[in-house]
Amino acid sequence: MERLLTHGIARHRGRRIEASDEADSELIRICDQLMAAAREAAHAVGDARVRAVASARRAGAVVVTETTMTITMHHVSIVTSAEFAAGDAAILRDLVATETNMRYRKLPVVWRNGSAAVLLHEAIGHAAEHDAPPVGWPAWLRVTDEPSYPVDDCGGATRRSDLLRERPASLRRESFRDIPLQRMSTIVVRQEGASFSLPEERIEVHLVAGGNYDPLLDRVTVEIAVADLVARGRKKRLRPFTIHESRQEVARSLAGATGDPIRYPGVICSREGQEIAVGSHAPVMLTL
Amino acid sequence: MSEIYRKRGRVARHENGQTILVEEAGEAIEIGREFEARPLKETAELPPVDAGAVERVAREIGRIVKPNAIERLIVSEGVAEHEFNGVRWSESTRRIHLSIAHRDFRLLVDRGDFELGDIERAARALENVQAEREPPPRIRARPNVSAALLPSLPTIAPPNVELRQMAGGTDGKGAPVREEPITAPPWTNWYRPSYRVRPVRMPFNLRAHCEIKVIDADVPEAVAILAPVDGIVMRVLIADRGISYPATVRISRIDAVADEVTWYPYGAGAFGASMML
Repeated sequence: MERLLTHGIARHRGRRIEASDEADSELIRICDQLMAAAREAAHAVGDARVRAVASARRAGAVVVTETTMTITMHHVSIVTSAEFAAGDAAILRDLVATETNMRYRKLPVVWRNGSAAVLLHEAIGHAAEHDAPPVGWPAWLRVTDEPSYPVDDCGGATRRSDLLRERPASLRRESFRDIPLQRMSTIVVRQEGASFSLPEERIEVHLVAGGNYDPLLDRVTVEIAVADLVARGRKKRLRPFTIHESRQEVARSLAGATGDPIRYPGVICSREGQEIAVGSHAPVMLTL
Repeated sequence: MSEIYRKRGRVARHENGQTILVEEAGEAIEIGREFEARPLKETAELPPVDAGAVERVAREIGRIVKPNAIERLIVSEGVAEHEFNGVRWSESTRRIHLSIAHRDFRLLVDRGDFELGDIERAARALENVQAEREPPPRIRARPNVSAALLPSLPTIAPPNVELRQMAGGTDGKGAPVREEPITAPPWTNWYRPSYRVRPVRMPFNLRAHCEIKVIDADVPEAVAILAPVDGIVMRVLIADRGISYPATVRISRIDAVADEVTWYPYGAGAFGASMML
């Protein structure tokens, strides 16, 4: 068992930031409440390794709270909240129960369970953070960052950002001792009139283990944790595999999408050594 | 048995064009498998750190790496007082972490001081970089390159070099770091980069010794790493008679190690030296 309490204040003075570990008793009280709920949710999950983080931050007069829970079973993790922990843990338990016995081979990929949000978090979200040049994304695709709180970590008003055209607008930081950066908060992928027919032989992705965008090489890496090979109406679980493509190739591969955005159990996003939770929503999507 | 570690620290860090000055104090309590870390409710009485010096170094690096682009630059100076089960010690640190890019190539430099020679040399080689080539049969690695390799070597034991932990400093549990041969884990000392993480056993101040110390100044020179070292495989930037190119080198043997060393912040510390590969 590990327990960690950290608190502090960052004061911006021109281009310098002065940070110290002063306590704010109101924020600590809120965190204690959030953590009590997270502990209860973790106990309910039972057969898993659970890491819960409760945070409360004040920017100006606004207090923003957040609870993230990382649930790990059989080396596969999901990131969720106390509210969704039980349901997401049940999905994870079901997904990891099947033995993996097939190797990945190149086939059309159907991104289920909102998992396409992770692919586009890397290929569009991080690329936008780095001002990457435009590539030809399909006209039916919409990708936005939609913070769920009214002010960012520097007290600025948040707004929806169109990630196909601009950086995320919000400044975020992991803690009071970190430099704020323009980072994604909640990525939402939508489609307009992009329906597709399911290929008979395909891979269906359910959970993603991690991802990366290299701004220098303009390449995207996505590590798939749980996926099925579907052929002749039968499903076989694939061993974990990695997709490694240029951003141009990812754009070219997007062949269609269907339905409304589905909440993917979120993502812990690491950039410049700062880990933050990013919400993720995407419709079922097809890449060829 | 409970173990209590306390740290009071002050750091000035320049990162992403901004400077942040952080003061904090915290304690970690370890009882068996339980680990708890929390801030101490006290003000740290510590010597000042020079935020102006940190900013000047960052500006100077910005000047000397041109026309290459800075991908990431972190310059910091810090002071800290540590306490573990009644043992007290203090330290001051300087760090540079730099990633610069030119075309499709990324180069990494880390320093444990504000000496900028490695950076200037690497930047000049990078701006003239040509296409990737096969590595030449013999290479001399600069100290910043060999230091990056050392943390991979303890479990590999390359032939004709002896790896030693050098004396210096205090570990994360208040024990002096003494000179000793590096043979096999468990390592003697504990590495604790922050009070917020559990300490782990790790060799400190690694240094490679070789009976042959003569470095052939005429062979191509690896001036910087282009990616974190992966076991015994290094992607390096090689400078050779006015041209430079990337190459991937698999370390099969180390033929010579020079006597003059510089400390680098890889792992829990590594003494880089000119090395014949």
